[in-house]
Amino acid sequence: MIEFKNLSLTYPNGTQGLKNINIKINKGEFVVIVGLSGAGKSTFIRSINRLVTPTAGELHVEGEDILQYKGRDLRELRKKIGMIFQSYNLVHRSTVLKNVIAGRLGYTSTLRSIFNMYPTEDIELAYENLKRVNIENKLYSRADELSGGQQQRVSIARVLTQQPNVILADEPVASLDPPTSHQVMTYLKQINREDNITTIVNLHFIDMAMEYADRIIGMRDGEVVYDGPASKVNEGTFEEIYGRSIREEDMRGGKEDVES
Amino acid sequence: MKANIPAKPKNNLKLVKRLISVIAIIAIYVWTFASVNIEWSKIFSMRTIENFDRIIPRFFDPAFQETGSIMLKMIETVFIAYTGSLAAAIIAIPLAFLCASNIVKSRIVNQIGMWILGAVRAFPEVLLAIIFVAAVGPNPFAGVLAISVGSTGMLGKLYSEVIESIDMKIIESLESSGANKLQILFYGIFPQVLPEFLSYAIYRFEIDVRASSVLGVVGAGGIGTLITFAYLNRNWEEVGMILLVIIVVVTIIDQISSFIRKRLV
Repeated sequence: MIEFKNLSLTYPNGTQGLKNINIKINKGEFVVIVGLSGAGKSTFIRSINRLVTPTAGELHVEGEDILQYKGRDLRELRKKIGMIFQSYNLVHRSTVLKNVIAGRLGYTSTLRSIFNMYPTEDIELAYENLKRVNIENKLYSRADELSGGQQQRVSIARVLTQQPNVILADEPVASLDPPTSHQVMTYLKQINREDNITTIVNLHFIDMAMEYADRIIGMRDGEVVYDGPASKVNEGTFEEIYGRSIREEDMRGGKEDVES
Repeated sequence: MKANIPAKPKNNLKLVKRLISVIAIIAIYVWTFASVNIEWSKIFSMRTIENFDRIIPRFFDPAFQETGSIMLKMIETVFIAYTGSLAAAIIAIPLAFLCASNIVKSRIVNQIGMWILGAVRAFPEVLLAIIFVAAVGPNPFAGVLAISVGSTGMLGKLYSEVIESIDMKIIESLESSGANKLQILFYGIFPQVLPEFLSYAIYRFEIDVRASSVLGVVGAGGIGTLITFAYLNRNWEEVGMILLVIIVVVTIIDQISSFIRKRLV
């Protein structure tokens, strides 16, 4: 369980990234955070694995306040929280397998990882996870030989190899075309259901948010302006969150292409 | 035909600035030429022509019988260059990390690193060779030291630029998976920079082969020693042969190195 208690974050330049957030996210939920760019979605998600550090309030993950974590504690926390990025962030010159096995770094001693001496179970785990996202045939390809959608699937496999309790995804489909976007979201949803991994995704496409989320959190100017089940959300809700009418660019579309 | 676009705005100030620069460049050129004291009458004299007549043909009649001993010294030269640039390629890595502002987040440390590399680059190899000959005696080891110190300056600078251009998002994503600093170095940074490091090191080796050919002139080993002896004895056929060997070997190494570098990156 993740709990935000009066959490605020002020950046050194004075910008308020988060303003007094109070939110509870339960184990196994699939939460989509929506909002315009600059609304604080990224800051929200990055607080959970402390890529940014909130400046006031408390943030509890599995019952412990993580704001004071440093060094080893912080690495232990991050080991259990996987993160997926908009730009996939794979090492281009390394093979797919090497990129995926990097998910085990937190579990492996420095010396073993430098000399590439992973336990057989870890290597098999990496391969199993590549199979789950249907990209196991690219095992020994260089990461930069893959298409965007394929790279994002590899990054999902990398996160799975971490065996996390929580998956954070920061705009995971923003660089992808509509059919590939749906494919990636479908994998995330499927993993969330099968492994009961709490999943928090940033999106700005409202149609995708409504389709995949259990729960939608709306943000504007660093504040949570909406929080409720996806089933109760309609276009009017989004107009309230965004503070303007809905436009073409807020929709991803393309679902039909996947099904056909 | 005149293009149908708005006319370029006239800028007289720019024109004046350009005119001043051109005049300044010409003035400096005239001034330097006037002050180096060239005796044109001596240059275009019968003596010059006679000297050329006497010496140049002997260059083109190289002493092939010396090939064996010259090749031996050339190999020594290449070894000096190789050992020196290999040492530099390794020593430059930690220095480059000190200078890279995206890795070491202290302006002061970055500046110190830059300052060390800059100071080292200020010395030409021959000068370094003189210093090291004084320190360790007139042998190839002095040449190796001169080459390695000289190359460290350039490689460190180039390496640090490579490090500064890496994709930091990859570092962030490794951090977010709980990897420690050393693991990030080996999984996130090295794969991004090593091919470029290697490419620069090979390029520097190419330069070092040329640089170490002259080091022997000041006694730091290699083929330069032979050049000095042959030159002092006015043995122009041997000088010609030495030059021929240097040109051939350097060209071959250049070709091989650019072939390898093309496949690396």
